[in-house]
Amino acid sequence: MNLVTKIATALGATTLLISLSSNAHEASEHMKDAQSPDCAAMAEMDHEKMDMNDPVMAAMMKQCMASDAHGEVATTGDAHQEHAHEAASTDSDAEHNHEAAAPVAAAVVEEVHQH
Amino acid sequence: MRTGIFIALAFVATGVFIFSGLYPMGADTPHFRVTTWALEILRERSIARASSEIKAPTDLDSADRLLSGGADYNDMCAGCHLSPGVESSDLSMGLYPAPPNLTNHAHVELDSSVTLARSFWIIKHGVKMSGMPAWGRGHDDERIWNMVAFLERLPDLNPVQYQILTARAPMQSEETH
Repeated sequence: MNLVTKIATALGATTLLISLSSNAHEASEHMKDAQSPDCAAMAEMDHEKMDMNDPVMAAMMKQCMASDAHGEVATTGDAHQEHAHEAASTDSDAEHNHEAAAPVAAAVVEEVHQH
Repeated sequence: MRTGIFIALAFVATGVFIFSGLYPMGADTPHFRVTTWALEILRERSIARASSEIKAPTDLDSADRLLSGGADYNDMCAGCHLSPGVESSDLSMGLYPAPPNLTNHAHVELDSSVTLARSFWIIKHGVKMSGMPAWGRGHDDERIWNMVAFLERLPDLNPVQYQILTARAPMQSEETH
């Protein structure tokens, strides 16, 4: 290996390391390990005690509304497997899941407003 | 003259001790009480001074901040600082000094504005020799404030709320693309 090749290799490796480190903590880097929100568990909560003005409740509703829209409502304690199953499903399965996934967030909002 | 000799001897003795290898460096051997006291004073006074000018945003109680900060907390902090329903982890048991359990109200001892600034500074800059990284090297200030916002509500969360808030849902996936 001549000197020019060595220098080019060193520069290339350095550039690669810098680019990798700058992206290491992008949120998208965490998506491969992402869990679906367990919104089905919300239905089991005491809706009379829910305060829709509480930022925590607002954040939960926002999260579950987004999941409902994507048909990604996980079941309690099995979020990873459910997500993996959805990813591996055929188009028709995915469509079925979307329809079967109860719009939990919307139902909870409606119930809380009734109270 | 005597004082000079005493100071010189103290320096020599300190040097001999440092190079002797006698100091127990294992994380499973606690400091002497006086060492712990001195290091804690050093840490708290340093952080208080360095964070004194930091002003928290006024919208920390927004749903978007909780969702962004929650997902980051779960990915980067929960292993050491725990989550609702989790009493300990290998990291929380093994690190020395032990990382504070942030799901516990007991860690909040200061008034709110001081606590917010302190949390922000610690997340951004880390703490030497404690295992706490400086997250500011890979995360901008807004993202760190989101984590601070989440920390403020963390002690109030139950495991169900925590799971929903910290999941990296499709909404966040879309925001990153």
